[in-house]
Amino acid sequence: MPEFVALIWEPRAARAQQGPDLVEYMNGYTAFGGIAGHAIRGGAALLTDDTATTIHVTGGQHGEVVMHDGPYAETKEFLGGFYVLEADDLDGAIALARHIPAAWRDGGRVEVRPTMSM
Amino acid sequence: MEYASIDEIIRVEGGRVVATLFRMTGQLELAEDAFGEAAIEAVTHWQSEGLPERPGAWLTTVARRKALDMLRREARRPEREEMAIALAAPVDLDVHTVRDDQLRLIFTACHPALSDEARVALTLRLVCGLTVDEIAAVFLVPEATMSKRITRAKAKLRANRIGLRIPLDGELPARLAVVSSVVEVVFTTGHHSPTGQALTRVDLMDEGVRLARLLAGLMPDEPECHGMVSLLLSTRARQATRVDIDGSAVLLADADRSLWDRDDIDEAIDLLERTLRAGRVGPIQIRAAISCLHSHASSAADTDWPQIVQLYDMLTMVAPSPIVAVNRAVALAEVEGATAGLEALDAVQASFASVERWHLFHAARAEFLRRLGDLRGSADALDAAVECPHNDVDDRLLRQRRAALDLASGASVEAE
Repeated sequence: MPEFVALIWEPRAARAQQGPDLVEYMNGYTAFGGIAGHAIRGGAALLTDDTATTIHVTGGQHGEVVMHDGPYAETKEFLGGFYVLEADDLDGAIALARHIPAAWRDGGRVEVRPTMSM
Repeated sequence: MEYASIDEIIRVEGGRVVATLFRMTGQLELAEDAFGEAAIEAVTHWQSEGLPERPGAWLTTVARRKALDMLRREARRPEREEMAIALAAPVDLDVHTVRDDQLRLIFTACHPALSDEARVALTLRLVCGLTVDEIAAVFLVPEATMSKRITRAKAKLRANRIGLRIPLDGELPARLAVVSSVVEVVFTTGHHSPTGQALTRVDLMDEGVRLARLLAGLMPDEPECHGMVSLLLSTRARQATRVDIDGSAVLLADADRSLWDRDDIDEAIDLLERTLRAGRVGPIQIRAAISCLHSHASSAADTDWPQIVQLYDMLTMVAPSPIVAVNRAVALAEVEGATAGLEALDAVQASFASVERWHLFHAARAEFLRRLGDLRGSADALDAAVECPHNDVDDRLLRQRRAALDLASGASVEAE
């Protein structure tokens, strides 16, 4: 069956939240696991992007590794995680992905993209 | 049905043929290419041998053969073989299957995952059969730009496997609204772009009506679909007076109503009355009612303005927007006077800041101020209108009215 990746974009203010809002938000992910569990083929929650390192290699494939502290692009939202979802088509993937808390939370977004079929 | 030419037959049947091929192969590009080759064969064959009894079936049969040939040329993966088997099966042209095929194609071309522009372009190409050149001309973009837009849209559909099925019942209302807006854009583009029009074989207003009728025929239990046919017919009925000889916009109040198409108006009203009986009123039906009331009235003075105000009140509840609010103010002024109209416009401005950039908002203010005798205020409002983005047709009218104000105020200065 075809696979789609749901990329989770969260507003920067989000991770700073504590207390009951955060609990409700995390419960949303548990609930999503219940709704979409049968279709989840992979995924991960990511640590905040201040833990990120972006690299490129100069001078060709065997050249020098250059590291840059932080994500590739500084954006208003940061990549918080992803799921790999099995679905017949985009509509099927979206029917699942819409339950990801980032999709219904203020300022959050979920990007849905098909994987390459090998 | 009478067709003007082989060209027209091919174009009209094309939507059905592509839809059927798409269902059989699951591939838009293959369906389109196969139909394209069948069309070429049809032109030469029909000119020498005459028209077949059922041109649609002829085209489908030939297109299917072409698709099989194309698949064989590329035969590699097992999916191709499955497709080939599906193509080899006898063609199911049962009316329900064809209907489902057409709906699937329309909902695919109008999928919300595509951009507005891509949806309209794809619908014009796959359902209406316009060439890429013609679509580019209508939207005033280079052919290469339009070609890329359409190619990208098809690639996105393919990558996301969109088109396998008709939307489920739960999804239908939202998806139908998207299709309706595409149909309306097709119609409005024809309504508003005289220069683009000259470059197509096809009248986009007529095409919009045809699409609306097709959709209503495919989904007869959806009142909003019938509402759309009524809305477009009643609007098209007035097209002869939309612009005068100088290329200036003509207001409803000034139009020569004897030039309106009575057949279109009668059909629009009759259809709307029947549709409203279903008791499932939506925004499109409300707008159709407003349009029909205008078209029905023998003069601006005879227009049922109070009813129109009520209809705008309904529209404000179900589909509010700055355009609805301004149009309501204009109708309100006809019932309660220019002061009430101005107050209503002030309220619109308070709710919708964006209205500042709409020329017709300022034009409406200008008209109310003029009626109240504030010629200076009216002139300022028209100046503000001209500052906003607008087309040539409206420009001429705005400038005419501005000039008329100068004459009027000049006269009153002299009188003093």
